[in-house]
Amino acid sequence: MDDVLKLTKEQLDALREMGNIGSGNAATALAQFLNRKIDMDVPSAKILPLNEISRLIGGPEQQVMGIFLKVMGKLSGRFILLLPTTTAVKLLKALMPGFESSTPGKFSEMETSCMREIGNILAGAFLNALSVLTRVPMLNSLPSMAIDMAGALLDSVISDNAAVSDYVLMIETSFIESQENLRIHIFLLPDPKSLDRLLEILGVK
Amino acid sequence: MPEVYPVGMAEIRIAKAPDALAVYGVGSCVIVAMYDPKSSIGGLAHVILPDSTGVAPDRLNPKKFADTAIPLLFQTLSHAGVFKGNLWAKMVGGAEMFPPTEDFSLNIGKKNSEAALTAVKKLGIPVMATETGGTIGRSMVFRLDSGRISLTVLGESSKEI
Repeated sequence: MDDVLKLTKEQLDALREMGNIGSGNAATALAQFLNRKIDMDVPSAKILPLNEISRLIGGPEQQVMGIFLKVMGKLSGRFILLLPTTTAVKLLKALMPGFESSTPGKFSEMETSCMREIGNILAGAFLNALSVLTRVPMLNSLPSMAIDMAGALLDSVISDNAAVSDYVLMIETSFIESQENLRIHIFLLPDPKSLDRLLEILGVK
Repeated sequence: MPEVYPVGMAEIRIAKAPDALAVYGVGSCVIVAMYDPKSSIGGLAHVILPDSTGVAPDRLNPKKFADTAIPLLFQTLSHAGVFKGNLWAKMVGGAEMFPPTEDFSLNIGKKNSEAALTAVKKLGIPVMATETGGTIGRSMVFRLDSGRISLTVLGESSKEI
């Protein structure tokens, strides 16, 4: 499967259902971690043309925090969380009572490390559920974090996945905490070389 | 009124004065600008990967890779009547957005900048200015009345090349 445009509706449905199982588990983990009720959007499996990627999340110049991890193992891919920096500050306040951000838009080493840990927990929970579903162990790399324009963060993550196809497959969902209006976007990008195996395991090859 | 045309990932576009070409939120991609000051015609290639080697020719989108997109930008300008001897180039982007961890290093920005520089030099087109590397995203507007590129970083005007 070198061209995601050839994916059938049935295959996309199976990928979306897989996203549903993974993000359900990640939402539960986040709810326990924050001790708050977390709602989840219905995940989607999207095939996006390259020139539309930067329009995700409020446009290419929108300032966001990105937490990026690689999915390693027989089924490999990329996992990225994107959230407004204001949401990151609210999450840190929920986790560390008495937290006040010293300089808006800047995060200390401790705060950065805390946000990477949130990424680690969410990716770990997501991938655990997928490992159980597929019976293929999946591990996530250590997370890397950056704050910048959404377009700039996304282009560096997706370009490798677009060597052959002009379209990128993304499984997308978002978590919402309504009390403080927190929203976290989650994207899973299966590597093109893993996609055939994944579809086979999901029984929709 | 001059128009500003956005150039998305893996796109090539040319235009002439008084219009402008723009790219918003460039990370590891590298944007190659070529310009002919005599005719005020110029173009951009929005390159996402360094090297097309290994991609089957029937599946190859030449606008994606530095080694194929840059000659294609030059060809497009030639077809528009631009003389090679008039052209110069500038380059923007090629940043490493995510710091490497013990497990991985994306490293794609550096490879993109290096490959783009090689491809431009191979054509024998002089490189007037570069604003590449680092760890920050950039937005740029390439004005074809002057050939100047204005850069912004997270909404703040940073410099002009």
